[in-house]
Amino acid sequence: MELLFQFLSNTGYYLADYRQIIMIVVGSVFLYLGTAKQYEPLLLVPIGFGILVGNIPFFKGFGLGIYESNSVLHYLYFGVTTGLYPSIVFLGLGAMTDFSSLLARPVLMLLGAAAQMGIFFTLLGALALGFLPKEAASIAIIGGADGPTSIFLTAKLAPHLIGPIAIAAYSYMALIPVIQPPIMRLLTSRKERLIRMPELREVSKKERVLFPAVAVILCCFLAPASIPLLGMFFFGNFLKECGVADRLAQTARTAIIDTATILLGLTVGASTQGDVFLTGKSVLIFFLGAVAFSIATASGVIFAKILNLFLKEKINPLLGASGVSAVPGSAREVHLVGQSEDPENFLLMHAMACNSSGVIGSAICAGILWSFLVGS
Amino acid sequence: MYGFEAITVNNGWAMALAGALIVFSGLVVLSLAISQIHKILTLFEKEKREVGFQQDLEAPKEDELEDKPLISLPKQFPTDINEIARLYQPLIDQLGETFYLSDLYAISRKNKLPHPHITFTAFRESAILIPYGEGVFTWNLPEENDDNANG
Repeated sequence: MELLFQFLSNTGYYLADYRQIIMIVVGSVFLYLGTAKQYEPLLLVPIGFGILVGNIPFFKGFGLGIYESNSVLHYLYFGVTTGLYPSIVFLGLGAMTDFSSLLARPVLMLLGAAAQMGIFFTLLGALALGFLPKEAASIAIIGGADGPTSIFLTAKLAPHLIGPIAIAAYSYMALIPVIQPPIMRLLTSRKERLIRMPELREVSKKERVLFPAVAVILCCFLAPASIPLLGMFFFGNFLKECGVADRLAQTARTAIIDTATILLGLTVGASTQGDVFLTGKSVLIFFLGAVAFSIATASGVIFAKILNLFLKEKINPLLGASGVSAVPGSAREVHLVGQSEDPENFLLMHAMACNSSGVIGSAICAGILWSFLVGS
Repeated sequence: MYGFEAITVNNGWAMALAGALIVFSGLVVLSLAISQIHKILTLFEKEKREVGFQQDLEAPKEDELEDKPLISLPKQFPTDINEIARLYQPLIDQLGETFYLSDLYAISRKNKLPHPHITFTAFRESAILIPYGEGVFTWNLPEENDDNANG
């Protein structure tokens, strides 16, 4: 009988506290959004399930939890804390990305740069709210709307915040259809939303092959700290475009990125243990993340409007919203908002150009912030 | 510490301003660079084409040498069919004993002989060009023909 009581006292039912129950509910919401609503299912499903796994109550000291040094989850989490998974994800992203539209219209890259302003405004906001500089920089990068980049920088500067920052970054990426359209509509007139973009010129294979080589040199010379992300990103893109390594490119954009995404999502989810995650700081991080994402969207749109003052051939300012690096969610949203005004207005390819420049921009920002704060 | 004081103490203004400027200038440089890639490539290709063209001019290719006319046409083209046949003799020598009419036509055009079609009809009517079956022809030597005519 005593043995039975001892066993029962070691079960999750006995050990559970309210924070774990809250997190299990949060995980279930993620799973619901990912599966039933299909909001970024490839991210929300592994993260949601990871939250469930990470919040099952257990007897501490058995080497079960993600924060216990000899547990399996801890070993898998190593890829997050070292920045390994984000680099691998970037390799796959590079092997998936087609830069043709960006090469055809390089001016759209400026919208990707403008959308990064959300990062720096949020940096100021986080510092004003009392976060330490390294924590503030990690929170600010949420404004780039790039999950792997946020995780990478947080792992380097404020590893204790990986859970809330990763969850905030991915949540806002999944909530693009909710967050971005009102901002886009608020900042643009109907006339502006109706601007049609000209047909993009055809880009030669030689241009597409040269681009990753030129870009890696220019970007990484400027911000060497972004080598782990941009080096892998442009390498993946070179594999795709060079035409002689199709097998490697195919593996990078399928098996490799899928494996990294599964492990990244699951372990980030599992890192949200109720007792570590449910703090006042996490609430503030979620608030600042929303601010960062909104400012990033707004600054892209506003910059496109400013650019139109000088350009003969006007740019549809909705494209500015796709300067955040949530690929391809924000590009899709820009396209849909454009089509809701004029069903024959096709903005997707142009929006993808801004989106891919946003990926480059946020990775450069991560490198810059890391190099600013690494010694402090 | 909170508010503007926290930002100032932690060097926030400088970080935000410098960071924004660096990322912006970086992407501006990249966009300028990629806007030039296709122009540079076009320039290289144009140069390559021009160099190729110069080389072509300086050193004629072997097949061009082969294309050199086998015969030099007289200022006054003959009206006599035997004379015309003699003009054709070097071409026939190149084609061999039997040949396709299409080959004779092609080589005649290459050597700028006038109205090959009409000439061939006249050759056939004069039994200079004799069908050998299945589109192949033989040449009835003009000398012999001349001999026959003279004899």
